[in-house]
Amino acid sequence: QRFRFCGDLDCPDWVLAEISTLAKISSVKLKLICAQVLRDLLGETMEYEKILKLTSDAKLELGDVKATIAVLGFILSSAAKHNVDSESLSSELQQLGLPKEHAGGLCRSYEEKQSSLQDRLRACSLRLSRLGSVGWRVDYTLSSSELREVNEPLVHLNFHLRDGERDKPVAIPMVLSADKFRVLLAELKQAQAMMNTLL
Amino acid sequence: KLNVGVDTVQHGVEGLTYLLTESSKLMISEIDFQDSIHVLGFSDELNKLLLQLYMDNRKEIRSILGELTPKLPSYHSLEWRLDVQLASRSLRQQIKPAVTIKLHLNQNEDQTAQVLQTDPSTLLHLIQQLEQALGEMKTNHCRRIVRNMK
Repeated sequence: QRFRFCGDLDCPDWVLAEISTLAKISSVKLKLICAQVLRDLLGETMEYEKILKLTSDAKLELGDVKATIAVLGFILSSAAKHNVDSESLSSELQQLGLPKEHAGGLCRSYEEKQSSLQDRLRACSLRLSRLGSVGWRVDYTLSSSELREVNEPLVHLNFHLRDGERDKPVAIPMVLSADKFRVLLAELKQAQAMMNTLL
Repeated sequence: KLNVGVDTVQHGVEGLTYLLTESSKLMISEIDFQDSIHVLGFSDELNKLLLQLYMDNRKEIRSILGELTPKLPSYHSLEWRLDVQLASRSLRQQIKPAVTIKLHLNQNEDQTAQVLQTDPSTLLHLIQQLEQALGEMKTNHCRRIVRNMK
């Protein structure tokens, strides 16, 4: 059976197996655990001790606690990834056997944070390199060994990148004459105009 | 405590290590082990102790030796993105889809990453080839070999 929150594929077996573990926790405590897992997915620190305290009533072993965190993380991030709305998620989780109150609590937490989660996933998407900043300088060449009066402006550009492949900062310096710089600027303006038509 | 020089102790340790690793590596039987050390002319009690030491530890030594083989880079994770090229400096009004893949590999605790790019039809071909490779496991030839290995 296909599920939207799994990307229109079958639900993974391990997720199915852990639904019964989730049902052992009370729905109120499950909502609080969800809040912690969402913190972790959003890049904040997850308070693991709080989760341990919340699961101690359900008498879950350490392995089950880790499985709970993993399955909640999967459900929430996968639902955000496939842009599933809160009601559909709730009905799909109930189809998997999660009790109604548990699904409801989970989906309310999801709904609050859905757009933040999607923003975060968008930011984490694969990027090969990122432009950090551009430094520039304009010089004026007075004279050279070849010609006594040169009198030409010269642009120095330094592109500071973060290389995505090796994840290291890279600096790319270059020098351009006034004409070349005008060509570069015109081409980049055309590219910018094209980007603006898409926004 | 042993009342011998540092060198003697070091040679002793090295000798024992060599004896145990070679024996475990070749997985020699008890009798062969006994015959081999008999040549060294130790007392019977010492021979029995050495045999016991060998039998107790050989499984663990073998598993450690097994991990010392050179390893190829292994799969760790995969990131991908799907882009569409709409225009370039030379040509406007294009539609050119491309899949960019960052393959994270593990090699002896080093993490490396390879960036690859392909168009969707090559990607489909790649998937087809990999599924064919998986399918090979189900042929009679492979099944026979797997059965014999067990």
